Amino acid sequence: MKIIETSRRKFLQGSVALCVYATSSFSSPIFTTKTSDKKVKDIPYLCNMCRNKCAGFARVENGTLTKLNPNQYFPKSRNMLCPKGNAGIQALYDSDRLKYPLIRIGERGDGRYKRVTWDEANEYIKDKLLKIIDEQKDNRSTVAYCNGEGFNKDEYIKFFGSKLGSANFLDEGSICLNTKLGATQLTIGDIGEMDVAGSDYMIISGANRYESLITPDSVDMIHAKQKLIVLDPRCTMTAIKADEYLPLHPGTDLAFCLSMIYIALKEELYDKAYVKKYFQDFDKLQKHILKNKYTAQWAEEKSHISAEKIERITREFFAASHPLYYLGRRSVWSANDFQLRRAMVLINALAGSINRKGGIIFGKPFRLKEEEITEPFYNNAEGRFDLDGIVYGSQKGGSWLNFREKVINQTAPYTVKVLFVRKHNIMQNMPNITKTKKMLTMMDLVVVLDTMPSDTAMMADVILPECTYLEREDMVVSFNRLEPSLALRNRVLAPLYESKTMQDILKGLGKKLSTPLFEISSKYDEDLQDAIKEQGKTKAFNEGGYNLAELYKDDISTRNKKLILTQFDENVYVSLKTKGVWHPYIENQKNLGNDLYEYYPEDKRFYTVQKKYKVNCFLKKLQKYGFDAMPTWHDRYDFKPAKDSFRVITGRYVTSTQTATTNNMMLKDMKETNRLWINAQVAKKLEIEEDDYVIVTSSVSSVVLQAYPTNKIAPQVVWFAHGFGATAQELTNAFGKGASDNMIIEDKFEKIYGCATMHETDVNIRKL
Amino acid sequence: MANYGMAFDYKFCINCHACEVACKEENGIDLGAKNHRLWIQEDGNTSGDFWNLDKDKVQFMQMQCQECEEAPCLKACPNGAIYRDDNGIVRLHKNLCDLTMACMHACPYGARYVDEKRHVTDKCIFCADTRLARGETTTACQITCPAKLRYFGDLDDEKSEISQILKERKHFTLKSELGTKPKLFYLE
Amino acid sequence: MNFIKKIIPMKDFTLRSLMQFEKTPLNMLMFVITIALLVAFGWGVVEYLVHSHHAYNITRQHPWGLLIAMYIFFVVSSTGLCIVGSLGDVFGFKDYMAMSKRAILGSIVTILAGFAVIAFEIGHPVRMLIYNVLSPGLTSAIWWMGTLYGIYLTFMIIEFIFLMRNDMKNARIFGLTGLLVGLAAHSNLGGVFGFLNARIISNGVFYPTYFILTAFITGIYLTYLMYGFRYKMQIPDDIKKGLLGLAKIQALLLGILMFFETWKLMTAVYGGMPGRADTAEHIFHSAGFLYGEVLCGMVIPFVVMLATKWQSIKLYVFTSFIGMIGIFFMRYDLVHDTQVKPLQMMKITEYQLPPTWIEYFPSAAEIAIGFGAIGIFFMLYYFGQKMFELDATEH
Repeated sequence: MKIIETSRRKFLQGSVALCVYATSSFSSPIFTTKTSDKKVKDIPYLCNMCRNKCAGFARVENGTLTKLNPNQYFPKSRNMLCPKGNAGIQALYDSDRLKYPLIRIGERGDGRYKRVTWDEANEYIKDKLLKIIDEQKDNRSTVAYCNGEGFNKDEYIKFFGSKLGSANFLDEGSICLNTKLGATQLTIGDIGEMDVAGSDYMIISGANRYESLITPDSVDMIHAKQKLIVLDPRCTMTAIKADEYLPLHPGTDLAFCLSMIYIALKEELYDKAYVKKYFQDFDKLQKHILKNKYTAQWAEEKSHISAEKIERITREFFAASHPLYYLGRRSVWSANDFQLRRAMVLINALAGSINRKGGIIFGKPFRLKEEEITEPFYNNAEGRFDLDGIVYGSQKGGSWLNFREKVINQTAPYTVKVLFVRKHNIMQNMPNITKTKKMLTMMDLVVVLDTMPSDTAMMADVILPECTYLEREDMVVSFNRLEPSLALRNRVLAPLYESKTMQDILKGLGKKLSTPLFEISSKYDEDLQDAIKEQGKTKAFNEGGYNLAELYKDDISTRNKKLILTQFDENVYVSLKTKGVWHPYIENQKNLGNDLYEYYPEDKRFYTVQKKYKVNCFLKKLQKYGFDAMPTWHDRYDFKPAKDSFRVITGRYVTSTQTATTNNMMLKDMKETNRLWINAQVAKKLEIEEDDYVIVTSSVSSVVLQAYPTNKIAPQVVWFAHGFGATAQELTNAFGKGASDNMIIEDKFEKIYGCATMHETDVNIRKL
Repeated sequence: MANYGMAFDYKFCINCHACEVACKEENGIDLGAKNHRLWIQEDGNTSGDFWNLDKDKVQFMQMQCQECEEAPCLKACPNGAIYRDDNGIVRLHKNLCDLTMACMHACPYGARYVDEKRHVTDKCIFCADTRLARGETTTACQITCPAKLRYFGDLDDEKSEISQILKERKHFTLKSELGTKPKLFYLE
Repeated sequence: MNFIKKIIPMKDFTLRSLMQFEKTPLNMLMFVITIALLVAFGWGVVEYLVHSHHAYNITRQHPWGLLIAMYIFFVVSSTGLCIVGSLGDVFGFKDYMAMSKRAILGSIVTILAGFAVIAFEIGHPVRMLIYNVLSPGLTSAIWWMGTLYGIYLTFMIIEFIFLMRNDMKNARIFGLTGLLVGLAAHSNLGGVFGFLNARIISNGVFYPTYFILTAFITGIYLTYLMYGFRYKMQIPDDIKKGLLGLAKIQALLLGILMFFETWKLMTAVYGGMPGRADTAEHIFHSAGFLYGEVLCGMVIPFVVMLATKWQSIKLYVFTSFIGMIGIFFMRYDLVHDTQVKPLQMMKITEYQLPPTWIEYFPSAAEIAIGFGAIGIFFMLYYFGQKMFELDATEH
């Protein structure tokens, strides 16, 4: 293959030129294609435009994907596709897509790459990786790897963690919702699921369910006969649709929650029978809350929600038959986030809303068996270091900010030289982008697997083009607990250009790397040396599980069939292949009207299950490490931005998924850029008018974007949506549009789960 | 043979644009904000200062061709290019359209626009030449809507869901004073 | 050529003589203006052919722009000249007999200029011609207007032929029919706007009648201009009498028009009906209306005529020029004002203030084609008077 040496601009032109060629050869449209009046066989698939996963049917005509439609069989997605789901076609046919493997030929970040074959790319990775692992004396953890996409994450971990032997896996959890998962797990012993549909009184703190759609929650909220209370420092769509909207200061939701607990205890509103049966250390909680006098008046001072409202809502909440304090599903805001989530769980528990309709339910998910693989044992592989100084932390996904900090300060116990990045735009997704850039420049090898030339891909040494979700089959997945189902992503089209599925990419890498890496281990690993002496090289290799590609011996189709047939039966398999979904009542779904369905009959849903659990009010481990064992307010949590400065908070539009969809033609059409929401009265004083450009400066950096003065945001708060401000010119639709929030958000993280706190940055605003 | 209409449970709308994207993909509508068969109109603003915000005036209206029984566009077309099909849908003979834009000028709802790909005027036709033509009974916007606020069906069929809901619930039409008799209904 | 001359008497001319004219400063100026306008028209057409409707600033909310206004401008002029021409040969007013030929020629060339504009406004003009016959839209005012104007043009040409042959009897028959068809066509053009129940500012009886009235006014202005140019202000007596008479009629018509306009605005504003009252107020405050329509189109000519007691032809030629500027604004505003009120509250994206009024300003291509068509009028008129004997002969 001809090597194209290109400058940054030429790279772009090259990809455009190739796209023209590609469109003719794959007959793929760049824009919309009208569907025909012919009947075709729709292919069931699972959406991947965001983390949520809805089911759909893809319409393919003459080899071209023309339409995506919702799937009525999936209990989770309630027969709907959101704007992003509908715009998946544009993700598939995005002309900026990564089309073939690329190797960097310029400086890191300057965008100069040459096109190579898959074999050349793998060879390049092999040479670099072997040298590094040899230098590091077989410490496999020198290879860090990260993944931002939910699907295939476990397969990815199995390759780099179980097989290759690195301890350093990082995922989006520590810049997302780990505190919520942890708080629920530690308080009631399970992460549970919230039964929004069954709740008649729901309080939401900040979660913006109508602009960040999660199924079935968002859909159920629309139809549920419930009173909805929304707390938010910004009047979001969810707030607009709420029965009652309580504006408050950022980061003071905990004060509101503490006050709710106080009132519930003081007025004895809580479910006494439940508390008696399930609560551990209830007396400690009672004493702690009452002693600290978290009264409604106190909470009013902290949060700006009137005491009268707090009292009334608390009483209404505890008087409701199925109250639910929605635990949220979004990034961590403040240093008190872990205890905030715990306070929410405790409020639900005090109302008895655990393991019952309309509360946090445990349910009965389908548990899919894992495919067995042999994991080699590496004596020289060191453990992870990013949870040092973190109380709990996620053993799986670690703490990004702590990891990055230790790498760039070189305070890690060993050096991390390699980073594999899959579908994880780390140059945009975590606070203080400058530091991420620094970390990447310190690496000897950065390999990016992605579909788009993201800001992160542009920092890679090797770019491996992965296909989109519409071009691959994935392993069957179990969804939900209340109305559990299985869903399978079927392949809609063969991978376009030279892109491959993750499994095929790893299989290629595995084939290339297995033997040489085994050789390195045999050089340093005494146990392996013994094994070789005993069994001979081939046997030691095979039985020790050193074949990295073991999992990918069979293709996904075969593996899926095998897995489903061993655990279920033929009907389930056929249903998954033809409908994309299976649940026990799929043949008898009842149309409730207007194409909304009842999936499980009411009496078959797993509202309440037999399960031993306790509600832990007091976490001793936290006390041991010098943290609050119970939700507690500290003065440092008070909302007090310096004079003339603003607290910057973040969020997103309904039409974008973090930074993954910024280049989507269709979605760009709906929302082209982000704007700075600033209180209208404040803006007037600063003489900032609509469309004016403003510079937003934090201690870290500054960004420029257009202002949107509005009365929908608090005077000392500014907001702009995440997902814009891409710096990669190769993203032709996204480049130069809006500003990136993580450019200016300070890289602070809380110490219980090591999660980045996104709402702790104060900024100054100046009109340009 | 049917008499198709649509009813909107408009208060359910969360302005997510799913309908708009689905419509554009289904019917091959050009990208660009001005090209749309349907759109969501933001009516009313929040008022007051942030701490005492009145948000109840904010509402989202589903806008598209109102499928008038007395369609001004149909009457205004000099070439007889606009006709009513067997399903009661106001359609266009594409090769008859001379693009005088008289229909755009006459439509009280701003539902028509120039389809620059095909060089004719275009509007919502309930997916008549795509989904309905292949025997489906839903429109792209109806089936994708997360709120399922769109009821689509045969107004002449008393048993249809839309007929039932119009019987049960109060509803209104847009600009009814003009006598256009829209077949799109907004449910109170 | 002889065959044609048998049908319609023409002057003897050669291609060369057609191109020759007296090189007076005024003629040279007209020559340069005409060429410039024709070049502009050509450029605009090329722009349109390359970019189709993208060359125009028309939008979804404002689908009709300057070209429609210019089309109306020309057809109103045509109808007006037809009315003036009819005064002599149809109605038999002796004073106006001498003007008929020139006025009828004027009415033919103005409507041809109008058709030249509309051809580049309509997306598919050929389709329009075909399906106008094959599938007539009988409920459409545009269909009636277009069809009747087509017939009208035919009658005007026949009338002109009989006029040139000095066959006054037949000229009268076709003149009368042509006039009636023209008036019908013209009031249907008013109906295009009057039928718009979507746009209550135009809905109703006003425009169909207003169109006839302003057509007559336009015809008189143009007659003054044509004769002013023809005789370089040295108006011969047989024409003078007619022109002085026209001034009186003009003053009367302007008086009626002002009366109409006043009541139209008053009734629109009164009662504060949304969509009508606010639009009327918006129109009342627009410069185009105040300075263009009212000042140039009505007040200045009216005052000049009153002040000079219908005796100063030279002055009227100049005021007619000002009057025509006013007429242009009447046409432009008519089209724009109909669309200025948004049909819907158009806020469809978050970061957008809902527009109170729809804005429109013609693009370069629209201006080039729209005003360039005046060049077509000049050119056709020039050739017309080179080819035909338009001045009074013995009847």
